[in-house]
Amino acid sequence: MNFLSPQGQRRLQKFKSLKRGYYSFVLMISLILLSLVAELFVNNRPLVVQYNDQIYFPTYGDILPGTIFGYDYQWETNYKKLESDFVKSQNGNWMIMPIVPFSPFENNFIEGEYPPYPPSISSKHYLGTDMAGRDILARLIYGFRIAILFSLLLLTVTYVIGVSLGAVMGYLGGTFDLVFQRIIEILSNVPILYIIMIVASIITPNFWTLALLLAAFSWMGLTWYMRTETYRENTREYVLAARAIGASNTRIMFKHILPNSVSILVTFFPFSVVSGITALTSLDYLGFGLPSPTPSWGELLQQGTSNLEYQWIAASAVAALSIVLTLVTFIGEAIREAFDPKKYSYYE
Amino acid sequence: MQGYFTQRLLLTIPTFIGITLLVFVLTRLVPGGPIERMLAEAQLASGTASSVSDGFGSQSLSEDQLDQLKAYYGFDQPIITSYFQWLWKVVQLDLGESTRYGESVWDTITERLPISIFYGVTTMILTYLLCIPLGIFKALKHGAPFDHISSAIVFISYAIPGYVIGIACIAYFAANLEWFPLGGFVGDEFEYLSTWDKIIDILHHATLPLIAYMAGSLAVMTFMMKNSLMENLSADYVRTATAKGLSFKQAITRHALRNSLIPLATHFGQNISVILSGSFLIEKIFNIDGIGLLGYEALVERDYPVVMGILVISALLYLIGNILSDLCVAWADPRIRFGEKR
Repeated sequence: MNFLSPQGQRRLQKFKSLKRGYYSFVLMISLILLSLVAELFVNNRPLVVQYNDQIYFPTYGDILPGTIFGYDYQWETNYKKLESDFVKSQNGNWMIMPIVPFSPFENNFIEGEYPPYPPSISSKHYLGTDMAGRDILARLIYGFRIAILFSLLLLTVTYVIGVSLGAVMGYLGGTFDLVFQRIIEILSNVPILYIIMIVASIITPNFWTLALLLAAFSWMGLTWYMRTETYRENTREYVLAARAIGASNTRIMFKHILPNSVSILVTFFPFSVVSGITALTSLDYLGFGLPSPTPSWGELLQQGTSNLEYQWIAASAVAALSIVLTLVTFIGEAIREAFDPKKYSYYE
Repeated sequence: MQGYFTQRLLLTIPTFIGITLLVFVLTRLVPGGPIERMLAEAQLASGTASSVSDGFGSQSLSEDQLDQLKAYYGFDQPIITSYFQWLWKVVQLDLGESTRYGESVWDTITERLPISIFYGVTTMILTYLLCIPLGIFKALKHGAPFDHISSAIVFISYAIPGYVIGIACIAYFAANLEWFPLGGFVGDEFEYLSTWDKIIDILHHATLPLIAYMAGSLAVMTFMMKNSLMENLSADYVRTATAKGLSFKQAITRHALRNSLIPLATHFGQNISVILSGSFLIEKIFNIDGIGLLGYEALVERDYPVVMGILVISALLYLIGNILSDLCVAWADPRIRFGEKR
C-alpha cells in the first residue's frame, strides 16, 4: 500500500470502514470476475468429456464436431444427446456439465409444451425460460457481462474526452471555454434516445458503434465537473509555483492539476457505471440497442412487460437489474463519503 | 446583476438554434421520412406490392406528384434554407402540421399537456412533502439506525430507473394482485361517473405511475435537504444561537431550517422541464397519453413536425428553467451576486 499517498490511505481506510459500500464493492468485483469466465458455469458445452479413453475440454476453443463422438454430422455435438447416450450405453464414458447447462442462445423445447417454461429445478431452468425457450439465468449472466463491459467501454471514452477537454477548458478559459460551454449546453439538451433511434434506423448498431454513439452524447457531465475543478485548482499556489519554474501548460495540467482532481474522477466512476448500464438497458428495452439475439436485460424486461402473465420473466430481469444497480450505487455512495473531508458537528 | 441575466437570456438564442438545428439536420439526413412512409402506405393501399428494389420507377405516384409532396413538406430546398423557414414559422408561433394526423402540432401538444402537467405537478408536490420532513429527520438522527435504513431504501429507489420500478409495480400490483388498473389515465366508464368517482378513478390510475415518477427524485431531494441542514447545523450562527440561550430545537426551526431550504428552492427551476415532458418510458409502460409518449410515437412514426415541436418546447423550458434557478438562488440568498468580478 505504499503507492498511495497518506491522504489516499486515509480515504481507503474510511472506505473500508463503510461496511455497506465495502461489501458491495467486494461482491461486485467478484461478480464481474466470475462473469468473465461465465462459460465455466453457464454453457451448453460440458466442462470435461471422457470418450473412449480420451479427455476433451470443449468449453473454450473451436467446436467439436459430432464425428468425434461417433455421430454422423459435422456441426457441433449435441451434448445433451451425448450425455443420455453415455448413460444408456454404460461403457465408462462420462462428462461433467456446467451448473446451468444452457447457452444463452439455444432454444430449448420440452416435448408437448410451448415455451415459456416456469422455473424448475428438475428441468435445470432455475429461473425458467423466456418466450423463445431460452434459459433466463443464462441470458441474465451473459447479459450482465455485456452490460458491464459496455459501460466500462463507455466510461473509458467519456473519461478520456471529459478529463482532457474539461482540463483544457478550465485552464485556458476565455473564448475556448465559452464556445465549449455552449456546445455542452446544446449537446446536453439534445434528446440522446431520439438520436440513437434515428441512427439505429439507418445502421444496426453493434457493441462498439452503440458505445461510441452514447459516449458522443454523455461526456458533458464529467467535462463540466473537471472544468470547475481545474478552474479552482488553477488559482492555487502550487500551480503558480510550477508556472514560475517554467513548467509547460500540458505539464501543469496533467502532472499537477490532474492528480489533485482525482477525487472528482473516482467519485464519478460508479455513477457512470450505473448510467451506462441504465442507458443500454433502456435502449434494449425499446428495441434500439444491441441486435438480437444478444443476451440483454432490456430485452428480457421488454418480454416481461408484454407478457405479464409469465411473471418469472419480468421478475428475474427487474431483480437482477435492481441488485446490480443498487450494489454499484452503494459503492458510489461509500466512495463519495470516503472522499468527503467534512465532519459535521452539533451544538446541542 | 441585471446585465448578467440579460446576457444569460441572450445566450439562450444561439443555444436554442444549435439544439434545433442539430436535430433538424439529423431528421433530414435520415432515410425513411414522411414521404417514404406515405409512398409505402400508398403502395400497400393500391395493392401494387412491387418490391422495394424497383425503386422510384414503379411507384404509384408520378414524379410531379412526388415533387408536389416534397414542396409541401419543404424537402425540395437545401437543409439550411428550410431550417430557417421553419425557424421563422416558430418565431411566429406556428409549429406546422403533424404529418401523421394532419392536425396542427400546437393542438396535438396542448391536447396532451394537462395529463403531463397533472403528473408533473403531483409528483413534485408529493416529492417535496416527503423529502423535506424525511431529510430533516435524517439530519437530526445522523448516524442512527433510522438514518442508515432509510438511506439504504432511498438509494435503492435511486439506483433502479423509474420505468423499471414501474414494470415491477405493474407486474405485481396490477397484473398479479389486480389492485390497480394496468394503465391509462382514466377508466373506460369515466364519462358516466360522478365527480367524486372521477377523482377516485384518476387517483386509482395515477398511484403506480406516481410511485415510478417519484422514485428517482426522492434520493436527490432527500439528501439535498439532509446535507444542507447538516451543513447549517455545524455553522457558527447555530452555535451563537444556542449560546445565547435558544434550545437546539429553536435554533433549528428559527435559524438553520430556513437557510437550509435554499438549495431546494433553487432546484425548483430545473424541475420545470421535467414537469412538462415527463418520462416517455414511464408513460409508455403505463400507457399514459402525455407529452413523453407523444414524442416517442412521433419519432417512431417519423412525424418530424411533432418531434421538432416538442423539442422546441422542452429546450425552451430547460433553458428558461436554468436561468430561473439562478434567479431563485439570487433571490433566496442575497449574498450571491452573479456576473461580478470577485
